[in-house]
Amino acid sequence: MSRIPFVEERNGESIVRVPLTRGLGLTPVQAVLVLVGIVLLFGLPFFSGLVGLSWERLFRGILFGIAAVGLNLLLRHTELVSFGHAAFFGSGAYGVAVLAAHYDVSEGLLLLLGAVLIGTLVAIIIGYFVAGYVDIYFALLTLAFNQVMFATVFRSGFFNYNDGLQVRIGGDRPSLFGLEWTTLGYNLVLYYTTIVLLLVMLLGMWKLINSPFGRALDAIGQDRTRARFIGIPVERYVWISFTISGLYGAFAGGVYALLRLHVQPEPTLYVFVSGEILFMAILGGFTTLVGPLIGGIVLVYLLEAARFWVTYYHALTGLVLLAIVFFMPKGIVGSLPSIGAALAHRRHDPGLVREDIRGIAAAMRRAVDRAITTVRIIVFGVN
Amino acid sequence: MIESFVTHTLNGLYYGFILFMIAAGLTIIFGVLGILNLAHGELYALGAFLVFSVVGFATGLVASPTGTVSAIVFGIVVLAASLAAAAILLPVGAVVESVFVRPIYERDEVYQLLLTYALLLIFIDVMKFGWGQTPVDPGVYGTLNRIPTTELVGFGYPSYNVIVMLVGLAVFGWLVWFFDRSKTGRIVRATAINRDMATAIGVSTDRTFTLVFAMGAFFAGFGGAMVSIGPGTAFLEMGLDPLVLSFVIIVIGGLGSLKGAFVGALIVGVISRWAIWLYPPVELAAPFAVMLIILLFKPEGLYGTWGEIE
Amino acid sequence: MLEARNLRKEFGELRATDDVSLAFGETPGEMVFIVGPNGAGKTTLVNLLTGLFEPDRGSVVVHTEENGTTVEEDITGMAPEDRVEAGLVRSFQIVHVFEEMTVRENVRTAALSRYDKTLSMRTLDDGHAEVEGDVDDLLARFRLEDIADEVAETLPHGDRKLLDVAMAFALDPRYLLLDEPTSGVATREKEYVIETIVEASDAEEVTTVTIEHDMDLVKNYADRLVVLHEGRVFREGDPDLLENDPELRQVLLGVDE
Repeated sequence: MSRIPFVEERNGESIVRVPLTRGLGLTPVQAVLVLVGIVLLFGLPFFSGLVGLSWERLFRGILFGIAAVGLNLLLRHTELVSFGHAAFFGSGAYGVAVLAAHYDVSEGLLLLLGAVLIGTLVAIIIGYFVAGYVDIYFALLTLAFNQVMFATVFRSGFFNYNDGLQVRIGGDRPSLFGLEWTTLGYNLVLYYTTIVLLLVMLLGMWKLINSPFGRALDAIGQDRTRARFIGIPVERYVWISFTISGLYGAFAGGVYALLRLHVQPEPTLYVFVSGEILFMAILGGFTTLVGPLIGGIVLVYLLEAARFWVTYYHALTGLVLLAIVFFMPKGIVGSLPSIGAALAHRRHDPGLVREDIRGIAAAMRRAVDRAITTVRIIVFGVN
Repeated sequence: MIESFVTHTLNGLYYGFILFMIAAGLTIIFGVLGILNLAHGELYALGAFLVFSVVGFATGLVASPTGTVSAIVFGIVVLAASLAAAAILLPVGAVVESVFVRPIYERDEVYQLLLTYALLLIFIDVMKFGWGQTPVDPGVYGTLNRIPTTELVGFGYPSYNVIVMLVGLAVFGWLVWFFDRSKTGRIVRATAINRDMATAIGVSTDRTFTLVFAMGAFFAGFGGAMVSIGPGTAFLEMGLDPLVLSFVIIVIGGLGSLKGAFVGALIVGVISRWAIWLYPPVELAAPFAVMLIILLFKPEGLYGTWGEIE
Repeated sequence: MLEARNLRKEFGELRATDDVSLAFGETPGEMVFIVGPNGAGKTTLVNLLTGLFEPDRGSVVVHTEENGTTVEEDITGMAPEDRVEAGLVRSFQIVHVFEEMTVRENVRTAALSRYDKTLSMRTLDDGHAEVEGDVDDLLARFRLEDIADEVAETLPHGDRKLLDVAMAFALDPRYLLLDEPTSGVATREKEYVIETIVEASDAEEVTTVTIEHDMDLVKNYADRLVVLHEGRVFREGDPDLLENDPELRQVLLGVDE
């Protein structure tokens, strides 16, 4: 043990680390950011109104973000693109709805537990079939399983077709911790329960990706053949990570159902929800742990709220995503370090800003040139 | 029983031909460019909207038909107008490819998906800007059905459906001719198989890719046009379901295979119409179930050729 | 002892491996070289032994000494990852390393697998002492310490080749199958690579089966030699058999004398 708290000796250098669990610590900057994040999360129901944001919408964003954190385990580590994660989100949501509507389970936490179990079971089943596939086949297989589930729910009386199921037991909303609550009280208790569980799940994921198991998943993502020949049972590990990934989605879907109290197929199970969960991870930064969470909040807010600000909210979202593809491929969180460094540079040397503008202008001019050339070729048949 | 079997099968084939026009573009774009274009369904929707304007203008020029001959003339005008509407998608597709898609060929596939998804969202709003929120319909379906073809089939079947099937067959025939026989088509295939080699013998891959994307856009738009002049309307969300079904089709047929897309489209069309006839609850799930079976047991698809066009 | 019994593998018309029966490691720690012209079935044989392919006919058997008696285990059909458990480890002709990891992480990932720790959720920095010890040893033995923190994909070819072999050693092999460990390595470094392999396998008494094209290296380092030709065992024995055998010379060099 070092004598000064939080200071470790490593390779003869002293590094400041805030230990979180054994062998894992945060740098001072990270620790401050984490603290700020936790304070923001806990204060959200009270702050958000002040700055004109809808807390419930942010809550939904957090939920999809949790699903994206789960998906990111596959995307970042085993390097598999899942296009069917709504299957788990939807299983969680419908798990809650079915248990409440058909089996009169009235305690919210029991419903949530049931949802997680059902969603995880679905992940185990789907994972068994898809674990041996890679690339586009993996993406399309997960999509197909997702759509079969959507189509089945959509056309089945048990799930009440397109109208979906109410999460009400004899007209009442579920209890939480055995107590009945007012609308506001219910939402607040649900929110804080979720936040606490979210922090636990983030910590768990952090530990996972920094464990030998996480390293084995990296190995599988980077070179499957070699991973197999150093003794890693590739399919089994992909199956395990797929299941864990689905568990996060199922949890998020379960809370979503408890929040909305009404579950329909399109917002929870449709293949475009799967796409959105994937894009949340990239938008927020899939090379980071919390990026997908941020991506979830931002994308849900854009898709849901922007319609009240601008008529053409789809295009707004599209432009944001284009900007991510072309200018911030590491996503919001992943780009923070380089943005910070770039800003610091420009404070030193304001001339750089002019170069940036010139660079962007040149890129746009090239794009317009390509467009004009193309049209000219089509119209006149010559270059 | 037999009559409804024939009717539903014909309906399935009709639906399959429409789906083929969308899936054909998706599969050749995937086969040659290696990009799964999520915005492809929006090109189809754009075709449907464009035909509303172009056909509306063209039919405004001719009087309402009174007899068989004038009905056929009317049909030809509508068809020509549909072609003209779809032709607008050639420059649209070409510009989209050269401006947005071209810079990301070397990038990770997740960025390609994200980019085409962004384009999907933008296209929806472009159409909202152009034609508003409410569905539009050029309203020529009733008139088209006055062309007497029903005697050919032996019982009452809409002439319009027959026309669409013939058009779809022509599209398939032309595409097969293009890739098998024409010089440009062979260059495209060579590029799909080996980009470096194609560059080495002096083929401009940029030019080839732009051409392929524009062609794909054209046929998707033409498919949309065919729906729009029929009983269907053009509406903002219409691109989503055909896009997802096109995935199913190109997986069943084999990614990048034109024949596969054709057979796959007809399979999906017929299966979904049979489902409506026999057991409606499985209509939506049936195509995906077929896709799952194919992926699990014959992942390369019926005519699988990985990146080659056949 | 690792034994191939009547192995046969066909790819369409081509019989890549044809009735091959061989034993490796009758003398534990021996260094066997496999030579032969291109297309002789050398890599296919290694692939069959390590489980990348399954043979059409024949079997792969491992003999283990247990309490003085020899136990025979047929490992045909066993997954590659389970063969690693049985001590059967390989490297690749075309380098397979984890491109985005550093050299140390590459070796460490293999070492974690050797200690059956890949399912462990205990943080990497938290007391995997035996693993870290192994990693340090291997990095030193293969002289990779200086580049330990470099990312694999940025390394020059020779270092990547060494890393590939070092990862194989990290698995604590009993039988090590090396597919052309010196291919693409500069001539003056080939000796160094083989030397390193010999030292490492002598220290652990690892039976090594190496595919090699450089006859000088083979003569200098082989305990035993297997010549494959058209999928069959053409010659087998001391490295001396390379001398004064015109037929063999013709097979290996493709020239008449």
